[in-house]
Amino acid sequence: MTLGLLAALVLVLAIGGFILGRQRALSSAKGDLRKLHSLPGYYGQTVALFTAVPAFVLMAVWLFAQPALIETRVAKLLPGEEHLDLVMTDVRKIAEGLDLIVAQGYLSNKAISDMRADLSDIRSRMGDVGIALGSNVKPTVFEAAKSYRSLNHMGRIGMTVAVLAVALAGFASAFLRIQPEFRARNVSESFVKVLLIAASLVAIATTVGIVLSLVFETVHFFKIYPAADFFLSLTWNPQFGGGSDLGIWPLIWGTLYVSLIALAVAVPIGLFAAIYLAEYASKKLRAIAKPLLEILAGIPTIVYGLFALITVGPMLRDYFAQPLGLGTSSSSVMTAGLVMGIMIIPFVSSLSDDIINAVPQSLRDGSYGLGATQSETVKQVILPAALPGIVGAILLAASRAIGETMIVVLGAGAAAKLSMNPFEAMTTVTVKIVSQLTGDTEFASPETLVAFALGLTLFVFTLILNIVALVIVRKYREQYE
Amino acid sequence: MTLADMSHHRPSLYTQDARTKARNAAEKRFRIYGITAVTLGVLALIVLLTSVLGSGLGSFRQTMMTLPVTLDAAVLDKKGNRNPDEMAKATTITYGKVLAQALEAVVAEKGLAPEGMKAKEIGSLISKEAPAALRDMVLANPDLIGTTIEFNVLANGRIDGFFKGRVTMESAALDSNVSPAQLELAQALRDAGMLRLAFNWAFITNPDASELRPESAGLGVAILGSAYMMLIVLALALPIGVAASIYLEEFAPQNRFTDLIEVNIANLAAVPSIVFGILGLAVFINYAGLPQSSPLVGGLVLTLMTLPTIIIATRAALKAVPPSIKDAALGVGASKMQTIFHHLLPLALPGILTGTIIGLAQALGETAPLLLIGMVAFVKEYPAAPPEGFLDPAAALPVQVYNFTQRSDPAFIERASGAIIVLLVFLLAMNILAVLLRRRFERRW
Amino acid sequence: MNDMRLTERTVNANDIKIAARKVQVFYGTTHAIKDVDVDILDKTVTAFIGPSGCGKSTFLRCINRMNDTIDICRVEGDILLDGEDIYNKKVDPVQLRARVGMVFQKPNPFPKSIYDNVAYGPKIHGQVKNKAELDEVVEASLRKAALWNEVKDRLDAPGTGLSGGQQQRLCIARAVATSPEVLLMDEPCSALDPIATAQVEELIDELRENFSVVIVTHSMQQAARVSQRTAFFHLGNLVEFGETGQIFTNPRDPRTESYITGRIG
Repeated sequence: MTLGLLAALVLVLAIGGFILGRQRALSSAKGDLRKLHSLPGYYGQTVALFTAVPAFVLMAVWLFAQPALIETRVAKLLPGEEHLDLVMTDVRKIAEGLDLIVAQGYLSNKAISDMRADLSDIRSRMGDVGIALGSNVKPTVFEAAKSYRSLNHMGRIGMTVAVLAVALAGFASAFLRIQPEFRARNVSESFVKVLLIAASLVAIATTVGIVLSLVFETVHFFKIYPAADFFLSLTWNPQFGGGSDLGIWPLIWGTLYVSLIALAVAVPIGLFAAIYLAEYASKKLRAIAKPLLEILAGIPTIVYGLFALITVGPMLRDYFAQPLGLGTSSSSVMTAGLVMGIMIIPFVSSLSDDIINAVPQSLRDGSYGLGATQSETVKQVILPAALPGIVGAILLAASRAIGETMIVVLGAGAAAKLSMNPFEAMTTVTVKIVSQLTGDTEFASPETLVAFALGLTLFVFTLILNIVALVIVRKYREQYE
Repeated sequence: MTLADMSHHRPSLYTQDARTKARNAAEKRFRIYGITAVTLGVLALIVLLTSVLGSGLGSFRQTMMTLPVTLDAAVLDKKGNRNPDEMAKATTITYGKVLAQALEAVVAEKGLAPEGMKAKEIGSLISKEAPAALRDMVLANPDLIGTTIEFNVLANGRIDGFFKGRVTMESAALDSNVSPAQLELAQALRDAGMLRLAFNWAFITNPDASELRPESAGLGVAILGSAYMMLIVLALALPIGVAASIYLEEFAPQNRFTDLIEVNIANLAAVPSIVFGILGLAVFINYAGLPQSSPLVGGLVLTLMTLPTIIIATRAALKAVPPSIKDAALGVGASKMQTIFHHLLPLALPGILTGTIIGLAQALGETAPLLLIGMVAFVKEYPAAPPEGFLDPAAALPVQVYNFTQRSDPAFIERASGAIIVLLVFLLAMNILAVLLRRRFERRW
Repeated sequence: MNDMRLTERTVNANDIKIAARKVQVFYGTTHAIKDVDVDILDKTVTAFIGPSGCGKSTFLRCINRMNDTIDICRVEGDILLDGEDIYNKKVDPVQLRARVGMVFQKPNPFPKSIYDNVAYGPKIHGQVKNKAELDEVVEASLRKAALWNEVKDRLDAPGTGLSGGQQQRLCIARAVATSPEVLLMDEPCSALDPIATAQVEELIDELRENFSVVIVTHSMQQAARVSQRTAFFHLGNLVEFGETGQIFTNPRDPRTESYITGRIG
């Protein structure tokens, strides 16, 4: 039974439960609504919730847990395999191929369980259904694939039975409890509240998922590549054949250099724009300019990337780098930094504008009352008062710049270098995450897994920046509330 | 000097002393810095948009030729029984020859060919994608065999580039894919009214095309893939986001756990998008075994990214409903849940929807995480209709832009910019919708 | 303290410091101040009283052109400071405000140290040559504001950390530091408790020796306690202006009498 069908079945049960539960409540009260504790709809709702929710939860948990359970069991069938990950990939592929063979009617399930890798040419059979295998199949691997396949089938059948059983049990238990005194509203409301809590836990689950997946694969990476080399080496030079240098410093340097240029562009422009719009601009100008600047934040980063690639890069190369003899590359730290700077202007200006506006008018009055000019008031009273908030805004912008991907992918280049020349192509952490994870290398190789270590570094870096910024901004808000 | 001294003998108010003049000059400078900053920001926006529009508008017009093509049964249906299965044996190479001959005939008839031009050179004015289009058309309608039809043929990308100024006689002289003579012929064909630039619907509807056929590359699969992902994001992020907001805003006790959730949400909103891509790769693809490049995985990743935006907007909308309304409902004996679902939520709905649309717009433009879950793959097949289609490989609009930029033919830069125009049109439409919603339903208490 | 202390009042025949003639103020289309004529004397405390919204604060803010910071506000008529029209085009409000200081309703110390709060005015106007002079001005100003003894050991502490009454006296010290000729006070005690109010009132009486003080107040008792001359505003009109004793004991206009006896307000 497909997942869609199973889900539809559970839903039908739930809807039926709603109708039947409502009717049963009405008939148990003999049509006199006042005898019921709750409105009849709540009885129906209770039955529907008890039918659908536990069943769907079970389904989700099962779908999530089954692959891990089956893989550990199958892995036990393959003792002494050196590259278990690679072998497991083959196992999955073969199992998929067997499914296809059955689906296309070449062989029956029975025939497949009798099939043996040392007797028939598995590789060419797999090729017939479009599954390409790198080498001939070892008998142990083939047996593992067969058991993987049958375990998966059993799992699917088990899930179908269990989900339907839970749905029916929920239906029955709720349905049978219906009588006029049953506090259906309270029960269903408590149930809904549990659902609300579960929804708010999704945020936690996401973070946990991010941290687990990053940490898990990073540990994996450090098992096959020494952590000391990763953190201390000054060379980044991945090789297809192994023996790569995967030192993070050239990437960190590129990231920081690009971000620094971006901030050097965005902070003065953003800050002055915020000051002008908050303190000087007429209402009309403000109503036009503020949204225009905010559009910059709404434009997808791929657009900035293309802008860097086709406009800014060639322009910088033709008018600055080449005449000055600084390089001939159109992708460069300067290109990416400049374009990224434009992108984060609104992050600085919008938040600073809010923060400047939050400075109480009484402070401005106090300063004007003493005969300060507007710029003196801004520089000596408003900015110092708003400083923590502005620092928070800049930190958030910095975190944005460090984590930005598309602009640097298209604008900064791919060469990992430790150079001071801003017109040279350099690369960043995010660029390398993309290139290592979208390449053709085997997943379990250090060249691929390094992306997770890079991702973890990036995550920790931005997390610290974000938290510091959030704390500062929050403290600042409290000060004037 | 004492205070008493200073209060004596003030200069007249009518004369500005030197210091005041200097201070006023500083004031003026400061103002100029401010206006310069605002101007620079707005200017950057204008340059950005004009640069993309300028290089992308060309992709909405495409060079086409209309040729009379004779579909000879002896060539295309050797058995003569009009059976599509049998006819399928005639490959695109055969159809290519048919088209080339049709063009050569026209050129010969009007005597347009420059001296000494070979037949092969004339034929290669036609896009390599055109034979397949003709073949599909004939196989779908075998009765066309034996007739002569007026067929619209795509011109080769270089010819198209010539009429859009991308290819010149000088560049053609150095180009192995096109010769100046071919360009002359193209010009002659255009002068003869056989060749024209027409609106390029195919750019919106066609699937992607290979490296050598920029002229037929389109956004169909990408638009469909993006639409599927937006459906998934809407279906998941809206209910989960609203539910989470209701809990946090109305039920959550003030304790460390609630704090943890709140910090979490604030932080998730600022986590680099590529990290969500890594999450998607590790959890949805490697662990849960969902298919790569599928809109389902893309949609799930984008859902997680969009949730914080929706939660933040929904909480603000719920907060904006005055407590008096809640008190009124509670006062007539409604339960807390009833109060929320009957009164608070409907009143907060415009704000929630506005936030959702803005979240969706963000998700629509997101590229980096989709690269990691395999949406960079070259996909030429349209995904099936949902729900099965959610598991088929598909592209996404912003990733399609990236894909185009990774190809060497400069014609793809035009396509990339064109794709961005389409993307921006969608975003603009969504944002206008959000603004209208806010205007139409906004309440002030 | 006697609430209606009207004795021992010495109204000297001081010079006219500020002369207002036919002053009109408009907020957009609202006519907020109508035809006000007032002479404010040097070294005197003048109180503006009247019900809320009568225009007394608006008029006060005209005297150092604080209304310039409000876009929709328009002032007509003449206000002369020592015979010079402060709304003349040649007058720079920045220079004017150095001579006409202001203290606001809510204490608004800057988020800086106590020292920097007081030093702010002299610094921006360039009234001191060096640090020693500045120290001197800060100390003198804090003494004038009767705050020196309370804060002399913690001049580097933030001004926002002081109590409400201290903050308001700090603001007075800050205003006094530029050695203005006129000190405008917009309900300076409305945010203070009774003890702090008494301290500030005492201070106002002392400030009279050096400055011409104009105080807007809601409290008739306060006007009676601190001022020598009182102006009663009602609905944007200056209804009556005269010596405080006369206004409170023998008002000429029936509206003044109604207000003082609590029938309007």
